[in-house]
Amino acid sequence: MKISYQNLINHLLEKPTKELLSEKLFQLGHEHEIQGDIFDMEITPNRGDCLSLLGLTRDLNIFFGRLGNFDIYEESIDVLEIDFENHSIEDCPQISFLEIEIEEVKDTYNPYLENFFSSIGNKKTNLFTDISNFISYELGQPTHCFDRATIKEKLIFENKECNNSFKTLLGSEVYLKGRNCVFTSSGEIISLAGVMGGASTACSSKTKKVLVECAYFNPESIIGKSSKYNLISDAAHKFERGVDITSQERVLRRFIKVVQDHADIKSIKLRSFGSGDFNNTFIPIDSKKINKILGTNLEEREYLKYLDALGFQISNQIKVPAYRHDIKSNNDLAEEIARVIGYNNIKSSSINLKKIPYINEGKVSKLETLLIENGFSEVINFPFTSKKEKGSINIDNPLDSNRNNFRTSLKESLIENLLYNERRQKDSVKLFEISDIYTKDQEIKQQKKVGLIISGRLGNNYNDFSKKLDYKYLNKLLNKDLNEDIVEIIEIPRNILDTKKKDKIYYAEFYLDDIPKSFYPELDIQEKAINFVNYKPISEYPSCTRDFSFLIEDLDVVKKVIDMLEEASDEIIKNSFIFDYYKDDKTNIIKIGYRFIFQSDLKTLSDSDIKNIVNKILSPILKIDGVSIPGM
Amino acid sequence: MSNLDNINPPTLHNEPGSLHPINQTKDYLLKLLSEMGFQKIHGPEIETEEFNFDMLNIKKSHPARQMHDTFYVEGKKNVLRTHTSPVQIRSMLNSKPPIAFTSAGKVYRKDDDATHLPMFHQVEGIYVDENVTFANLKDLIHQILNKLFGDDVEVRFRPSYFPFTEPSAEVDILAENGKWLEILGCGIVNPIVLDNCNIDSNRYSGLAFGLGVERIAMLKYGVNDIREFYKSNLDFLKQFK
Repeated sequence: MKISYQNLINHLLEKPTKELLSEKLFQLGHEHEIQGDIFDMEITPNRGDCLSLLGLTRDLNIFFGRLGNFDIYEESIDVLEIDFENHSIEDCPQISFLEIEIEEVKDTYNPYLENFFSSIGNKKTNLFTDISNFISYELGQPTHCFDRATIKEKLIFENKECNNSFKTLLGSEVYLKGRNCVFTSSGEIISLAGVMGGASTACSSKTKKVLVECAYFNPESIIGKSSKYNLISDAAHKFERGVDITSQERVLRRFIKVVQDHADIKSIKLRSFGSGDFNNTFIPIDSKKINKILGTNLEEREYLKYLDALGFQISNQIKVPAYRHDIKSNNDLAEEIARVIGYNNIKSSSINLKKIPYINEGKVSKLETLLIENGFSEVINFPFTSKKEKGSINIDNPLDSNRNNFRTSLKESLIENLLYNERRQKDSVKLFEISDIYTKDQEIKQQKKVGLIISGRLGNNYNDFSKKLDYKYLNKLLNKDLNEDIVEIIEIPRNILDTKKKDKIYYAEFYLDDIPKSFYPELDIQEKAINFVNYKPISEYPSCTRDFSFLIEDLDVVKKVIDMLEEASDEIIKNSFIFDYYKDDKTNIIKIGYRFIFQSDLKTLSDSDIKNIVNKILSPILKIDGVSIPGM
Repeated sequence: MSNLDNINPPTLHNEPGSLHPINQTKDYLLKLLSEMGFQKIHGPEIETEEFNFDMLNIKKSHPARQMHDTFYVEGKKNVLRTHTSPVQIRSMLNSKPPIAFTSAGKVYRKDDDATHLPMFHQVEGIYVDENVTFANLKDLIHQILNKLFGDDVEVRFRPSYFPFTEPSAEVDILAENGKWLEILGCGIVNPIVLDNCNIDSNRYSGLAFGLGVERIAMLKYGVNDIREFYKSNLDFLKQFK
């Protein structure tokens, strides 16, 4: 909600600076951002009463005093003869109608109304709608203006089963389904109550006679409609959070006052429906309880003074004002007091819980340790899938039809993860995921599953480089080459996947509970302190690989060459390792194959970029006697 | 001059794998809280509306209960839990104060855009005993944030709204760029919630808090885009060794 600084201070006794006002709004729990002179407020959903100039100044009264200067029309008003029936008093216990007719519509607005549009950036439509929007901004109570001439028959409010299309006053067409609170006339839906009025009864710039409807709708009757039909409106936002059930006539009298400032009024008539009864909440005065909740030593006198300033009426008990739907208990009052004192001004009081030993999740941690030691990286995937398997749990309202089931297996996600990394030139992939899996038989069953996927090179070192990750590797890791398979390992055929790679893919999936306790007895759980490394964003550019085969004839320099290669540093060296190491006994020569992987964070590397860095690394090495790269 | 026999082959580098940074952060937070005295508890990700909402004083009219915010499953019989709080409800029903529980895990919201994911992780804590006050809550939150961000971290409490705590607060820390950064939500357990769990709210009071694991991980590791955690990119994952 956008609110103007100028408007706020116009209604306050003291005139705080923007900074002080901002500080106090934060203290009261009203988060906001400031853009120029506009405070863009984010009001918590329990404080619907603060969605207006009046509401915020009521809260700020405690710090700056409030003027309460929203002038209203105070003369007596003729009773409106209106053919209206309320078929659902439960959904709308209080409703008032104002019929107002004016002589001429003026082109220019008074500065205060003009300013509402220019400073907040609202769009003008027509006088009555503009005033309705202004009143909602001022007082937090939405009103709806029907062009009086368009309602010829009985007006009915009802909560009815709909199966109709409905054209809104903004011109959009929605299809109303299920039960909705609506206003109807001549059998036609003319307004989706509490959300938006219809096009057929909307005011225009020529309208001179309007029927202004001002109601209290039960929030539970309105909630969700605005979002269901994608009709976002200020009215719905306010009704969903609850308006002041006692304010309707006063609001309409303010409406008249603003109309009076802009036109000559020909006639006004007013009529209210509803019992007018409202049972205020009363809470016994108990400052001890408040101090017990907050851990403070507040005197009763002070406590009551604060509540009084917030609009609570104090007698032998505390009367909660009608607009504070959120206050029901001493805990609610404690929050009021804490807001006024300031959360940051309440002194901390030390707390020491009884120490208990930290218990590691045995089996999971052991398995994780084993997999990490063997070069597996853990992934976490979203559990949604389009695949419906036996026992799948179905999502009623999925994000889309491809994500309408809860997965029963980790396989699909892990295959996707593998292919994703292969597309990014990863030639040795070892991934695992451990996740709770939910299935349904008679009841919902929860079991922890482990999934592992491997493909590509065994590793990036000279022993493993030319070997492939295979069945044997995974079997040794998981089944320890035992005759009896504890874990089933399967090959996932490449031909069913969208990939041109040839390396075989092996996959294993098992329930953690199926692993016997004695399975990894020799493993100690790594109690490694977390290392919050400084993350380096991943480059979006392709990497380039360069391999070099060194012939080293002087055996004394072997170590030096390897050190120089391993110590080579440049921001575009992504990775480097010895992929081949060979001792030729006949010639007394050592051959080293060394791979560099280059990647820039800023661009796609050109041949000359790579040539430059390669020269920088290799030239000092090649200057060493007895070291060469054949063909270079 | 050396001969081939006394040349040692180069060191064999075996690249270790890594735990997912979110799980590392989650485990770290759980350990931190366990060491403070909170007992680890677990609960299901598929929950009843009763435990996910009703018991926590989240009324039918609360926006969070709408179909556009919560995933419903199996013909609206159950929900994907929208927070880890129901785990605490389940445990409170089976315990007598004093209690101190912490729970962590995956939670779901029907959201999917640049800054929101349909699944993320939370860590929560609850402590119920006689005479637990808001002043105690402040002390505990300071203890946690000092452990997480150092003793010099500047902390700000702001009033907020959660149906299950009253008073409720959001807590910010002052970031290096001079801006306040929201870090956790907390409050005094709403007596209605205690009563729902058969704990006498006239005798006992409680404090509760919840942290977003992704948020902490982003701050501690310097990851700017939450979606990076779920791309399963080895270039990303291998950085968190």
